[in-house]
Amino acid sequence: MKLKNMFGTRSRGTAAASVLVRTHSTHTAKAVVAMGVVAVALLSGCTAGGDSPSEGELTGTIRMLVEITPAKTLSYYEGLVAPYVESHPGVKVVFETPSTDGPQGTLQQGLASGDIPDIVQSNLDPVVAPQLLGFPDEAWVMDTPFVSANTLDGQIYKVATAAQIQSLVFYNKDAFDEAGITTLPKSIDEFTAALKKLKAAGYLPLQTAGEWVTGSQLIMMAQPDLMTTNPDFFAQATSGEATFADSAYATYMEAYEGWVKDGLVSDQALGLKYEDAIAGFTSGKAATIVMGNWLVNSIDEANPTFPVGVFPTPTIDGSTPRQYGNAAQPYSILKDSKNVALALDLVKYLVSDKTAVETALTQGDFRAGYSVTASELTMAVAQVLDDSPGLVSFYLGSGSSAFQDQVNLSVQSLYTGNSSSVAVADIDTWWKTNATN
Amino acid sequence: MQQTSSNARGAATAGRTPGADSQRVIFSKALRQRARLRAVVNDSSLLAPPLVLVGLFVIVPIFVALYLSFTNWTGFTPPTPAGLSNYVRLSQDRDVQYSLQLTAIIAVVGTIVCNVLGLGVALLVNGNSKFNSLMRVLVFYPYVIGPIIIGFLWSSILGSNGAINALLHSWGGEGFPFFADPTWAAVSVIAVIIWSSFGVNVILYLAGLQTIPESLVEAALIDGASAWQTFWRVKLPVLAPTVTLNIVLPVIGLLRVYELILALTEGGPAGTTRTLVYNILNISFRNTQFGYGAAQSVVLMIVIIIITLLIIRLRRRSEEAVAA
Repeated sequence: MKLKNMFGTRSRGTAAASVLVRTHSTHTAKAVVAMGVVAVALLSGCTAGGDSPSEGELTGTIRMLVEITPAKTLSYYEGLVAPYVESHPGVKVVFETPSTDGPQGTLQQGLASGDIPDIVQSNLDPVVAPQLLGFPDEAWVMDTPFVSANTLDGQIYKVATAAQIQSLVFYNKDAFDEAGITTLPKSIDEFTAALKKLKAAGYLPLQTAGEWVTGSQLIMMAQPDLMTTNPDFFAQATSGEATFADSAYATYMEAYEGWVKDGLVSDQALGLKYEDAIAGFTSGKAATIVMGNWLVNSIDEANPTFPVGVFPTPTIDGSTPRQYGNAAQPYSILKDSKNVALALDLVKYLVSDKTAVETALTQGDFRAGYSVTASELTMAVAQVLDDSPGLVSFYLGSGSSAFQDQVNLSVQSLYTGNSSSVAVADIDTWWKTNATN
Repeated sequence: MQQTSSNARGAATAGRTPGADSQRVIFSKALRQRARLRAVVNDSSLLAPPLVLVGLFVIVPIFVALYLSFTNWTGFTPPTPAGLSNYVRLSQDRDVQYSLQLTAIIAVVGTIVCNVLGLGVALLVNGNSKFNSLMRVLVFYPYVIGPIIIGFLWSSILGSNGAINALLHSWGGEGFPFFADPTWAAVSVIAVIIWSSFGVNVILYLAGLQTIPESLVEAALIDGASAWQTFWRVKLPVLAPTVTLNIVLPVIGLLRVYELILALTEGGPAGTTRTLVYNILNISFRNTQFGYGAAQSVVLMIVIIIITLLIIRLRRRSEEAVAA
């Protein structure tokens, strides 16, 4: 199976990916999977940031600002770098956790005070790019996923370890059987009908939550349709040729409004945190949850009493969606780092060394050419990716985090009585004032 | 004696030449000037450290914020001039207007309730006993543990899956939308803010109550005043300076509330608990629009200054009556 164009029809080069899923017959929950998801668009003319240093010269302390999540803990990062540190005497890696503003906000504060880390592990907004080192035009960089998405004005400002996909619906198979749902829904209408059946069967049909979850779930559903219909949407929205009110976002927002009105989502959802949403699904109360592939780890750890399946998020016309994906576990180096050579070497290790990448892939992400022991659910996600016609990205301009916040506010306003048309109009208003490209 | 001293003065001055007198005057003046200079140097050396700190951490940031408010600084590239555009935008921004209203409600309601509660509890625990000492510690304890911890504590109690709702669900009941409904969320946030803050008011009122002369209270009781009359006509007027302090400090603090909002609701649901400071930090760090955030913070600073001066001016008469 080949993934044709990573970002709809905007691929600048040949995006060729082979996705190969081999399963060994086994009665256990795990199987060896050779996963090949490569979301690479080869670019010509990437600027070179310099050659990688030779290993013998490298000592010192590296400060790494990392993203902490329920799955990516400090222990995880320490285990990730342990082989590198053991093989490089004189090298020390110090992990720094972000403040409540997240890694990017913490980095802003560091830059203002002159106290910066060497490496940041986070999906940094393009606005940060002027402060970041351009990665060299070498094979270990070009081989990483989402190279073109991580490039700004010819400079590759972050490298990804793997790819993650987000347009997934995890579902309780027993709940679907009880509700009499025999075919997995493909269109929004079919999905809504399935949710109603689940409600009749006594389940919370769709698990949502407050914090960032509300808006992100809508983006996970709407983004594939948006970018498939119009790959240049965001640029056109900036120039005034397109609006969210006339886009797929409006359709999904209208559907979401209906789910709120029909009680297909909890009216108390906004008071829930992300962890509550995971618990709500894995406890069996909620029958479905829309989330990215990183949820697989949490589901496997919770070990629910029911079998869990996954299918792609519904589309407007019922076609198989492209998967909304982005860089997983990306790294950027500050250009004012006191130890650029060591930082480059460490990042090279993290994104190209077999042991490091396979450790990273235990988070449930994907990378071509690497084997990892994975659960059945991970294999199921890989199959969804196999079956998808390609990948689409999110808005790649400056302020993408802020845009996500605005979408979040708009979706949450549906719970507080706002109509979908007003909610989408708020997004358009925000875009006119804030978007820069 | 005066005669003697004038005679002594006369005897002292008798026989002295005018030149010697002028030299003596010059010498005394020099001594006085040197003494004055020494006093100035002494005072300056004592004042210098706090002045430097205030300058570095208060005055300089104010001017930096003022400068940034006229730029489009992202925090990652050099600032570019923006003229008055940030202020024009601020005047039309509905989100900022909503935040201002919410912040004002929190400040007014919070100040009134904190003062009523604070004074009430202070009167109750004013005596010297182990029980009163324990109560003072308990009411002050929330202030010490910090807003982020308080926020997480109360979100685990009031959240949709929190302790209260979990108990209600286990009894077969419906939960309360403490943080899921905008009105409930606003009330819950204000209640938690009051709970975490009024301990300071208790302590300040306790200190103020210690300064009330016993003789005044005894005189009132002898004159037949009831407990309420004693409080209203004797104690409360004497507490005027304390009352002023207990109004100014909470107002300033509540106009800047942020950490509790972050930990409790993250500004939700749907942005309905975003205070002005939450907006400022969100727009600065999340939206990387430091210039616009700086403009909002300048406006907030001006509002706080005006309100503080107004309160002090309004309270001046009460305080002057106490001083008299």
